[in-house]
Amino acid sequence: MDIQKHIDKMFADYQENPALADFKEELTIHIDERIKGLVKKGMDEKSAFEKAINELGDVSVIADEIGKKKRQDVFSEMYMKTRNYITPVKSALYVLCGLVLGLAVILPLLTWYASGMVTGTVMVLLPFGMAAVLGFLFLGLMQETATREAMSWKRAIWYVLAAGLILFGVLVAFVTYFGMESVGPSNSAGVIDTYVYTLYGNKMFKQGSTSVVGAITVLMIFSLPGIALGIFLILTEKDRSKSWVIRQREEQMKYADEHFSRK
Amino acid sequence: MEPKLSSDLLRGHTDTIVLAMLMNADRYGLEIYNRILSRTDEQYELKVDTLYSSYKRLEKEGCIMSYWGNETQGARRKYYHITDKGRIVYHQNMLDWEFTQKILSNLLKEEK
Repeated sequence: MDIQKHIDKMFADYQENPALADFKEELTIHIDERIKGLVKKGMDEKSAFEKAINELGDVSVIADEIGKKKRQDVFSEMYMKTRNYITPVKSALYVLCGLVLGLAVILPLLTWYASGMVTGTVMVLLPFGMAAVLGFLFLGLMQETATREAMSWKRAIWYVLAAGLILFGVLVAFVTYFGMESVGPSNSAGVIDTYVYTLYGNKMFKQGSTSVVGAITVLMIFSLPGIALGIFLILTEKDRSKSWVIRQREEQMKYADEHFSRK
Repeated sequence: MEPKLSSDLLRGHTDTIVLAMLMNADRYGLEIYNRILSRTDEQYELKVDTLYSSYKRLEKEGCIMSYWGNETQGARRKYYHITDKGRIVYHQNMLDWEFTQKILSNLLKEEK
């Protein structure tokens, strides 16, 4: 039955400022003296407390008015304060994903210059690139920010699965399409020849029409379900904005309504 | 039939009620609250948010001022003081109310 605690809880969502602190003190004293008055009239302390709290109504309306200006002052700051939400474990995971992304750039490049094979390059890119991209996606979705709540890890996994399917389909389709290359005439050619060959891949189109079919098949099998899953997830997405953002939005709507709507 | 107090009707006049309470003395929040309760025979279920919203509004409009009292014993109290503008607003509201009351009574009468 701590009045102070109760009041603090009621205004927990509001930025503390001198005016709000002042109001909280005034309200605390009001409730305290009200309870004392009721007890003096013969009410027991517990019901007096409950009555006094009941009589308050919705004092957050007042806090809205007092807290408003302050909130706008820290508005930009609140948007920027993402750093507070990144824990040491999370930052380590971000760095790890960054390292894997680095490998996903360097290793395929090395493979490309060493062998000049598109297939081999993509094959090397596949595990590292996917791990890095999906890792960043997962961490990003689960990242709580100043304006947004974190997504649940279960839902984030579904997103990762969708993205993984799309990415896997595209990369494997690449490998399937250029699969002919290893037995094609460019195999013995130099790096530049292969590069030109890759650029004008339409030559391959005639040579390896079966691989085009294969590539499309792979795309259909993996990427299509991935896209479908992704669309489903995006359509069923809930608004994860934080309560203060929603309030801010409502206020702006109200303001726009009052000032710009024709009545 | 028992008559019942229309809290809604009273709520619409909170600002004027507060100004009326301050016409002759500076008072603190709970004091005004208690006076309203006792003068309505505890019939009016006045919510604290209604009253304090009114204080904040009146203060913003310049009708009242507030200051912390320097109690030597007991809790600190925040007093409200009516300004000249507040007095003018009060008199205007009273005129408005008397005028409106006449018209309203007339409107509510059974037609013959």
